[in-house]
Amino acid sequence: MPKYDHREEMEAPGVFVLALIFLAVFIVIWFAHLKWLSNIWGIQ
Amino acid sequence: MANTDFRTCSLSGLKIHRSSELLIRWNLIAAFATLAVGGLMGLLVLLTRWPSVHLLPVEHYYRFLTAHGLDALLAWIIFFEIALVHFTSAVLLGTRSYVTWLGWVAFALMLIGGALINTIVVLGRADVMFTSYVPLKADPLYYLGVILFAVGALIGFIHFFINIVLSKRDGGFKRSLPLGSFGLAAASIIGILTLAHGAAIFLPTLLWSMDVIPTIDPSAYRLVFWGLGHSSQQINVCAMVAVWYMTSAFVVGGKPVNEKLSRTAFVLYILFINLASEHHLLVDPVLSSWHKVVNTSYMMHLAVLASMIHAFAIPASMEVALRKQGYTRGLFEWLKKAPWGNPAFSGVIISIVLFGFLGGITGVIFGTEQFAIIRHNTFAITGHFHGTVVAGTTIAFMAFTYLLIPFIFKRELIWKGFASIQPWLYGAGVATLSIGMMSAGSFGVPRRHYDITFSGAPFSFTFDPAIDMFMSMMGVGGVLAAAGGFLFILIAFGSIIFGKKMEQR
Repeated sequence: MPKYDHREEMEAPGVFVLALIFLAVFIVIWFAHLKWLSNIWGIQ
Repeated sequence: MANTDFRTCSLSGLKIHRSSELLIRWNLIAAFATLAVGGLMGLLVLLTRWPSVHLLPVEHYYRFLTAHGLDALLAWIIFFEIALVHFTSAVLLGTRSYVTWLGWVAFALMLIGGALINTIVVLGRADVMFTSYVPLKADPLYYLGVILFAVGALIGFIHFFINIVLSKRDGGFKRSLPLGSFGLAAASIIGILTLAHGAAIFLPTLLWSMDVIPTIDPSAYRLVFWGLGHSSQQINVCAMVAVWYMTSAFVVGGKPVNEKLSRTAFVLYILFINLASEHHLLVDPVLSSWHKVVNTSYMMHLAVLASMIHAFAIPASMEVALRKQGYTRGLFEWLKKAPWGNPAFSGVIISIVLFGFLGGITGVIFGTEQFAIIRHNTFAITGHFHGTVVAGTTIAFMAFTYLLIPFIFKRELIWKGFASIQPWLYGAGVATLSIGMMSAGSFGVPRRHYDITFSGAPFSFTFDPAIDMFMSMMGVGGVLAAAGGFLFILIAFGSIIFGKKMEQR
């Protein structure tokens, strides 16, 4: 069985980077949203 | 069957049999017609819930809300899915539809059932809304209409398996089904289970409405109903994801990066996605907390895992295909050079993004036990399912229509410029509507109530003034979506009737 080459070129690097960008944006929106909800519901 | 009944589509290379073609065409026409009616009802409901407009009187509001739910959520989507059943179990395999008469029986039952439901609702004899919760009682003909529609759809999904078994026997495909057909197989399995629930609960309800049986236990009704009500949305998820894969294949030549993984993800849907219905039963005293927590907070995530697999696999299939076409510069040349002017492509991308970020994520959050208790009867849930069924499924089906019109109706699209902006207009409208609804729901705005000022109520209640902004956001988004939906209907029917005929072999 051939040894897995970790340096092998990724097939879809653009989607990988896009996924990271979406993840970062989602985390920011998620915590902003939590803070907003805490204010609405009066949670300290 | 004579070979002359087959033609080869000049655009897709698909071998299309006349019998399948007619079944697909008529199911699509019925789907577009019900979308037009459901969309119009949706606009009237929207203009009533928008406090600045508050258009309809109370009885018309609940009547049109009932029609909106049944036409837009059930009829448009299931007619389209039955068209997909024939597309993926015959056209995609290059074989014919077997037992064609059964396909027409299914179509006739759905058509009669749908017409009956709409007539009874418009006559004001079934103001019971989509859920039809007992003890709200409608005219027996309404329940009969729902049963006829459900049985027709059930036959339609069974037809899928008849087609593929006989096609396999005749050598239509050698090993496993193509991925699009596999996705519809998953949808059909869920469909059969779902519609069986529908028949199981609406039959006794019909008898109850005719005073043949004295009572229906409301909690028993709710338990079985949601086996239809929410599970039917899981048929949509499977069919929508299959449409994403097929559009990627037809438009850019995309093949899944790992087909086995994509197939496994569909199996995860079959096994686990129906557990999403559990959140309708979180306050049910019969079920234990253990049962509720395991289903809503653990099992459901196995279905989410499936969605995450598809969410990476489909854009990756597009990137790999576009890179093979030579768009290899940097990380994103493929994305820049993708066919954004093709409404089938742009529609599917909009559907993937909006489904994931608006419908999917909120569904996972609202479906967990803690959040469901807080949010379940607020407007946030309406925002969630407009993120899944409209921003996700409806936009994906609209996008696929732009392929099916040339493939199946042999007509070119009219108004190509308008068609290329239609998914963007509709998508922007639905996204704004959905976010407005979810934000207003966070302030406690109720899910279905006609008058959120509660005028004439014995106790006064006022919401935070911020909801005015979110309700207006919903209104503006909804009007944009209605404009996008109207444009879609004009383009779809216009192309079928007036589109330039295409040469076929």
